[in-house]
Amino acid sequence: MDYDRIQLLKQQMFDTTREVSLERALLYTENYQTTENQPTIIRRAMATAHILSQVKISIREGELLAGNRTIKPRSGIISPEMDPYWIYNELDTIENRPQDPFYISEEDKKIYKDVLYPYWKGRSLKDYINNKITPEVREPVDKNIVKLNQTDKGQGHIIANFEKLLQSGLQATVDETSQLYKKNPENTFYDASLIVLKASQNHIVRYANLAMTLALQEDDNKRKDELLEIARISKKISKHKPSTFYEACQLLWYMCVILQYESNASSLSLGGFDKYMYSFYQNDIKRGVSKDNLREILTHFWIKVNDVVLIRSSNSAKYFAGFPTGYTITLGGLTENGRSAVNELSYLCLDTYQDIRLPQPNLGVRLNEFIERSFLNKTSETIRLGTGVPQIFNDEVIVPGFLNRGVSLEDARDYSVVGCVELSIPGKTYGLHDIALFNLLKVMELTLKENQKESFITFDDIIVRIKENIDRYVQLMIEGSNIVDEGHRAFAPVPLLSSLINQCLDKGKDITYGGAKYNFSGVQGIGIANLSDSLYALKKIVFEEERISLEELVDAMDNNFEGDVYETLRIRLINKYDKYGNDNDEVDNMSSDILRYYAKAVEKYQNPRGGIFTPGSYTVSAHIPLGEAVGATPDGRKSKEQLADGGLSPMVGRDGLGPTAVLKSISKLDNYLTTNGSLLNIKFNPKTLEGPEGIQKLSNFLLAFMKLKLQHIQFNVVSVDTLRKAQANPNEYKGLVVRVAGYSAFFTELCKGIQDDIIRRTEHNL
Amino acid sequence: MKGLIVNIQRYSLQDGDGIRTIVFFKGCPLRCPWCSNPESISFEIETVKILSKCIHCPVCSYDVDECPSGAMTRFGQYMTVDEVIQEVVKDQIFYDTSNGGVTLSGGEVLSQSAFAKELLIELKKLNIHTAIETSGHGRTQALLDLANHLDLILFDLKIMDTIKAKQIIRADTTLINHNLKALVQSKKKVIPRIPLIPGYTLDDENIHAIIRLVKSLELKEIHILPFHQYGSNKYEFLNKDYKLKDVPVPSDSTVQDVKVKMEKEDLHVTIVH
Repeated sequence: MDYDRIQLLKQQMFDTTREVSLERALLYTENYQTTENQPTIIRRAMATAHILSQVKISIREGELLAGNRTIKPRSGIISPEMDPYWIYNELDTIENRPQDPFYISEEDKKIYKDVLYPYWKGRSLKDYINNKITPEVREPVDKNIVKLNQTDKGQGHIIANFEKLLQSGLQATVDETSQLYKKNPENTFYDASLIVLKASQNHIVRYANLAMTLALQEDDNKRKDELLEIARISKKISKHKPSTFYEACQLLWYMCVILQYESNASSLSLGGFDKYMYSFYQNDIKRGVSKDNLREILTHFWIKVNDVVLIRSSNSAKYFAGFPTGYTITLGGLTENGRSAVNELSYLCLDTYQDIRLPQPNLGVRLNEFIERSFLNKTSETIRLGTGVPQIFNDEVIVPGFLNRGVSLEDARDYSVVGCVELSIPGKTYGLHDIALFNLLKVMELTLKENQKESFITFDDIIVRIKENIDRYVQLMIEGSNIVDEGHRAFAPVPLLSSLINQCLDKGKDITYGGAKYNFSGVQGIGIANLSDSLYALKKIVFEEERISLEELVDAMDNNFEGDVYETLRIRLINKYDKYGNDNDEVDNMSSDILRYYAKAVEKYQNPRGGIFTPGSYTVSAHIPLGEAVGATPDGRKSKEQLADGGLSPMVGRDGLGPTAVLKSISKLDNYLTTNGSLLNIKFNPKTLEGPEGIQKLSNFLLAFMKLKLQHIQFNVVSVDTLRKAQANPNEYKGLVVRVAGYSAFFTELCKGIQDDIIRRTEHNL
Repeated sequence: MKGLIVNIQRYSLQDGDGIRTIVFFKGCPLRCPWCSNPESISFEIETVKILSKCIHCPVCSYDVDECPSGAMTRFGQYMTVDEVIQEVVKDQIFYDTSNGGVTLSGGEVLSQSAFAKELLIELKKLNIHTAIETSGHGRTQALLDLANHLDLILFDLKIMDTIKAKQIIRADTTLINHNLKALVQSKKKVIPRIPLIPGYTLDDENIHAIIRLVKSLELKEIHILPFHQYGSNKYEFLNKDYKLKDVPVPSDSTVQDVKVKMEKEDLHVTIVH
């Protein structure tokens, strides 16, 4: 493998300033203005097709895989058709904002103000949603109980059926769609799909032509041959199915880029890469292609997936800091008939990741009773490198969890992960996995304040009233989520993506119309750690020890524990009452009870696509902004302080008994119910994982995690010392990749608040 | 029957194989000046105020249960075998996947041998791997009784010189050596553990004496534990004199020298931090 070239590609990608690129927005808008009387889905398809035919394309120096979303690496593309406002408001600050800054030229600012903003103002997805949201639904949003997502960007958090694409090729999909369209000429979905599928083919042909042109200009013979090969492959796969690993990687990446133009979305994830790429890998090995060669292609692919970053509003960047673009891959797992799905390519994926150590791809490994010990050890070895990759998912709880949601046994065994930790059936699901967040702690705060003057209230009454409020606000969250869902149907159908999701073609429906086989909406219950800590302390201090009344406690919370008396109270609340994460049944059962209640409340509801709502419990980096929305709480947490990180992790600094106790606490939750995904962060001191024993220790620890039926775990194995140094000298630690939430990011690309949070998360010795 | 227990520490990785829970017994006949668990020496329950945690209330209650900050701390608790079992089984899944288990330590377990024996019998009923860390300073028959229910014995060897041992740590080396031999003869897995304490155990003569003894018993494995200062703050709040306050920890090369010396004698050496 040409390591110098790998180094060059990495430099090319990361040594440039991130910029805003208006190109997509301008092309989209320019075309959209010419199709006024057509159905939305056709207008979207034509606008996307226009982008695909006009957008500037490039093949950068040394690249073996073509396909760049923007000419300059890691540029942010925008979609004002979704939300023209946030960028308008942030034009002057985006360059210097603390999290995820992007450069934008004065000229582009002017174009945005004069051309894009005036057109989309009043006619975007955001406008549609804002007009539909009722005052009732707005109440929990304004009170920071509910956060509705996906109101400002296109459709992501989904895995296309790449297996089908790679096994049959683009032309086969075009032919299939054409025939269906002929039989149903009135069906605009088929019409739209054909427009974008053909445009995708032409887009790939453009790369073939570019490669040919570049080859003719190239003096270096070796590079000339490479460019000619890119030209040949591109021409071939624009129609036919790929036959080699290289060709398959190239088609896969082209489709990743093309799908980005359609929706400019987070987490168009890659799914079970080692499963659907394995036949290509195997054939190449049989043909005598060297392993090193395959390894090189794979390494190029890993670098490539870092090119796409999502530009978010500064508010959204707080929740999803450091570009969780979501080229998420889930390795291993189970075959259709329930055996270990680990193959040679699974190993190669981890091996090559060990060489590049970048934030993407976001690799995950599926753990089950059948996992080969050697693969488990390879996993531990990769984790030990400290980038937080791979994260671990537990088949032993996730598969049965899906069965409980009506997913077939074979599909459940094939599950994969989108985005950070969201669980999905690849190629078959439109899961709106991140449609809303529900701040359970905020509901508790509100309930305590509503009831503070009731002198005869019991602890059980409080729990009942919290549950009543959960019911009430969950219903409003559902209404809000369904408005956003319908907004995407009305404004942002995705015919190309839909043509790659099972059953859409059969049903003749876009995913936003319910075309997919599985149709979930995922809503996250946040704050259970702080909630159980608070309820337990409240129960003890007010109702059992009767030290203070509920009213006094609420008064202390209202005063943010200011003053000596309240501060002493706060110290008592922190120190004298056990906390979630220490394997105390009485505390843990509270979180279990409330999270289960939330899950059951949510799963009763349906979305407009005929699917059900599914609960999850993860925060990404939202524990910081969601914490800002909650006043002081009975666990001794002060107003605006962060919530516990991750989703299921204990509150920072409150888990004193080590990681086994943390895992035990979490095992008491009903982890079968959170089928939308959950998240646990554990930090280990790298010293304790040294040597060959270190690998075995970590593997054994993971097996216990599996038996305890937790869904997810991920690790930061970086010493606090290293992180502090990186904070002080960012330039020397540019390449340091750490785990943020269900994804990794460059440590120095995170704002100080999140850096501090990562430093604080309790460090365990293993 | 109850035992006086000072702490049950989960997730320990140094005192035997795998992930383990350590049950620290309270009370010890020896007086090692370097002891890093001085709260486990006395056979009495001790109540102390840890000033670093104290928030200086206007009036101090001196009451462990009332103190809001946890500064008032009680060391020692009488527990039944059942109570200890309830606590240690919490991590049984981790023992099973890591070949870990439970280690009894102290203080000196042998000083509460009847309780320890009952506890070990219950642990074995649950198929839990059992280990002990002991100074070997106790009745031989009691030790052999415990050994019947033990999978691993970590046997401390400290000062080998009979006179110094008696003067400095109040230990009877004849008894200790006798007990070690008895254990080895009982065919139990025994690993000697040597704390490397500058000025006390860390000198050529003592190390050689240890090697000689270990070799004579045909033991193959040995643990060395370099001196550390992690226990020093405990002396402060226990109001005890700590003679080793200013003693620097041995350098890596010093520790390596000892390791190499032992390896030359065909011993498999593990450094335990």
